[in-house]
Amino acid sequence: MEPIRYVDALNEKYGAMGFPPYKWSENPTAPWTHMTKPLPECTVAMLVSGGISHCATMPFDPDARNDHRVDAIDPSVPSDEYQIHDSYYDHTDADLDLNCLLPIDRLRELAEAGEIGAVAKRHWSGFMGRTYNRSRVIGESAPAFADALHADGVDLLIAIPA
Amino acid sequence: MGLVARVVEETGIPTVTVSTGRDITALVRPPRSLFVNFPMGNTFGRVGDTARQTEILRAALDFAVTAEEPGVLVDLPLEWDEPFVYFAGEATPEAIARQLKK
Repeated sequence: MEPIRYVDALNEKYGAMGFPPYKWSENPTAPWTHMTKPLPECTVAMLVSGGISHCATMPFDPDARNDHRVDAIDPSVPSDEYQIHDSYYDHTDADLDLNCLLPIDRLRELAEAGEIGAVAKRHWSGFMGRTYNRSRVIGESAPAFADALHADGVDLLIAIPA
Repeated sequence: MGLVARVVEETGIPTVTVSTGRDITALVRPPRSLFVNFPMGNTFGRVGDTARQTEILRAALDFAVTAEEPGVLVDLPLEWDEPFVYFAGEATPEAIARQLKK
């Protein structure tokens, strides 16, 4: 199957609501940091953008715009203690099994099997879609997030947009 | 999300992005992208399919090691087992009014 053309679909959807076309960031090049450790020595963290929050905290706004909220996800908390609030995608399956979108149980198993060094002390949920003030992401929210990863000794980040 | 991966990479931590939106990822160009042609929200597969979830997670980890070219985008050779379409979300008048208020 051909990949879905999300740029066209999203512009059609939000255009019908009266929004101007969303101008996606378009980058001709990408930054690069070499992997310096083998996976069995790496501390791995994950970041997901799908409105996932712990059931004891405030849910994400499912229709959020410019929401710079980023929650820490405790990898030791059972994966069925999370809730999902995001109108941007179909999370029917992820509601039943978080691992469909954020595979925290699977990553823990790989750590226990020695395929990675360790699961980071925190995973992350935030940076939801419909962010129009991207300069604030690049200048503030994302650097603050990177600081947290460095504080946790993270060697590799798996980013999961939804 | 791709922008965040780029910023994190610039600070010295390697990133791998596992995406279900190929066209968006190709534009934003995170450092390393693995495209999974599954419905958005099912990046790692179906409910309870632990083998597939692990397979895709392991592919992402291995790709972090083997990728060599900044901005590389690789298609994971997996097919969803039924056709799927763009998820337009709630389209009730109330939902649209709620979104327009943002």
